[in-house]
Amino acid sequence: MPLVNYEPLDSSTDVTTTKTLLYEAIPLTGTIVSGTYSDENIKNFTHGMFQAVYDYPYLSSSANHIFDLTVGYSSNSSLSGSANSVQESKKINMYNQFAQVLLGYTGSNNVVREFEKDLTLDGSGAMLNAFMINFSRLITKDQIKKGSFSLIVGTGSWASPFSFTETLTDASASATGGTTNTIGGDYGVLYNASNTARGVVFYQAGIAILATGSWDNVTDFNSGSAPIYSYTTAQSLVSASISGSCDAVRHRIQNISFNNTTEINSSIYFCRVPHNKYNYTSNPTYLSSSQIVVKSIGTDTPISYITTIGLYSSNNELLAIAKLSEPLRKDPSNEITLRVRLDY
Amino acid sequence: MAFLDNSGDIILDAVLTDEGRKKMANGTFTITKFALGDDEIDYGLYQKNHTSGSAYADLEILQTPVFEAFTGAEAGINYGLLSLAATDILYMPVMKVNEKAAVSNIVRAATSPTTGMFYLADTSTDTSTNLLLSTALASSDKFLVSDASAGPAILFETGLDTTLIAGDAANKSTYLVSNNLVDSSFYVSYDNRFVVTCLGGRSQQFDNTSAGTSGTPTLSYTLSRGTAVNTDLQLSNYSTCRIAAGNDGVVTDSTYSVTDTEVSAIAGPRGAFGVLGFVIKANLDSEFTLYGSVSQDVFGDGKLYSYIDTTVYAKGTKTGCQIQIPLRIIKYISG
Repeated sequence: MPLVNYEPLDSSTDVTTTKTLLYEAIPLTGTIVSGTYSDENIKNFTHGMFQAVYDYPYLSSSANHIFDLTVGYSSNSSLSGSANSVQESKKINMYNQFAQVLLGYTGSNNVVREFEKDLTLDGSGAMLNAFMINFSRLITKDQIKKGSFSLIVGTGSWASPFSFTETLTDASASATGGTTNTIGGDYGVLYNASNTARGVVFYQAGIAILATGSWDNVTDFNSGSAPIYSYTTAQSLVSASISGSCDAVRHRIQNISFNNTTEINSSIYFCRVPHNKYNYTSNPTYLSSSQIVVKSIGTDTPISYITTIGLYSSNNELLAIAKLSEPLRKDPSNEITLRVRLDY
Repeated sequence: MAFLDNSGDIILDAVLTDEGRKKMANGTFTITKFALGDDEIDYGLYQKNHTSGSAYADLEILQTPVFEAFTGAEAGINYGLLSLAATDILYMPVMKVNEKAAVSNIVRAATSPTTGMFYLADTSTDTSTNLLLSTALASSDKFLVSDASAGPAILFETGLDTTLIAGDAANKSTYLVSNNLVDSSFYVSYDNRFVVTCLGGRSQQFDNTSAGTSGTPTLSYTLSRGTAVNTDLQLSNYSTCRIAAGNDGVVTDSTYSVTDTEVSAIAGPRGAFGVLGFVIKANLDSEFTLYGSVSQDVFGDGKLYSYIDTTVYAKGTKTGCQIQIPLRIIKYISG
């Protein structure tokens, strides 16, 4: 039924907006990536251009997509044009797609920028061969928190990949520095414990680009039994399919962790309840034989109890509703300001 | 919805309603005002004379668990908090339907087969004569007829329903008029799937003083269509219109042979009254099938009727006092 008493909200004094950043820790254990579900959580596509990783066998409706994985190299890479290369055009296409979206084009000829393991984008430190991990929106939310990214990769042999590990972090990045801004958003550099750059992470895009450096000394980065082969990273990038190289990378991911960030924009409505208002109610239990049940005589203080706040448009449409966790006593001796926050 | 955790600090759980999300989607979301509600509270738990002292009077009320906020507008605020200027008000008006035998040209609730149900005749393909054949509706004061400007109509009154205060003019002035507790109009909300609009009184009069000194009631009115209004009604498929209120002129006078309580549903000072009729949709046959029952022997007399049960809400625009009126839209079929 219609309400009787509204109290206006002054847009200049009773309404304000705020922005809050909410962080969530996202730990991705390597066993999910490389074995727990016997690869039933790994989805390969007929086009073969990337591999999707789920947190559960992907045919289940409970499965959540957590990231995609692909590999590629620049057409300027020494690997380009190699004999017996497999899916070369697709690998170059993948590299270019990431580069053009995240870095854009440069020079008078508008050539695609190449990834670099530094913050300068001056052509030095280029990563011409790369593994790309793009995390799903589900886990990155609005962006990866700067300085929170950590990736532990195994640098041991194929048979025992985690006998040696390298932890890559963006610890030098923070909200106030240590990043470079590009058309794809901010990125920070991933360093190992020896402060050697191994890749970059794009925070807003939720994409990590890894150079091959972690595995430069590994002779069996990618290995198989039938037919028997044992590839270095360069050989894998050339001779293995994209999904084959992705399998090799997954085989060597021990842990990924980062904090995601959710930006919450809030409107805060200060509902000011003056001392002389809302002291009575139309609640049917308020009266017994027309007498107010909380009073014995007329001069007793009228009392009401607030449990609900309705926020209305000028047309009396109920747009939002807020509930107090416990009733709030209202009488003429008190004034109350109820702070209702709506998050978007 | 679950209850909110009330074990610690007071928290506020806020959600957008369906309407709010719709407004957000079309870019017209603007909040301009607020109102307060207390639907969960049972004021009967207030113990004015608690043996442990007044500090304990509202202990049970303050422990009332509160539901999480609903997103459906229907579960928003049904009973709002009121802002009345005076703090010394002890009595507040209630609204009641008047079914007194002494009053003529009104409709009374049926007593069989259900009690308290008001009947509204769908005479679209037949006259009301057939309804009068029914054992339960054998009098014209047992059912409303759609769009009947001369009545009969449902009569309802507001006032202080207490025997502690005499229903005389002085008390009406003291307890009602001076506290601004006399409604000048009423909101009536109805299911717009069946009802086109409601009818309210025009040139209306209700008292026990104008017919001489016997206390015999005078009720006169002409019904006309109410004014459609846009309210925060929180029921799907419901529309609201405003009808005029009349000054309830029934007073207590010990010299009257017909007492005021034989005339009025209110025991104490009376505030306002309203008369209510309806205009129903021209052809409700499909609605009878969808929402009601078809060709039923409702009264056990071998005659068949189709009917739909619905509820009408009436509320004072100033006092907020309200009633729900159960309404059965009925159509004679055969027998």
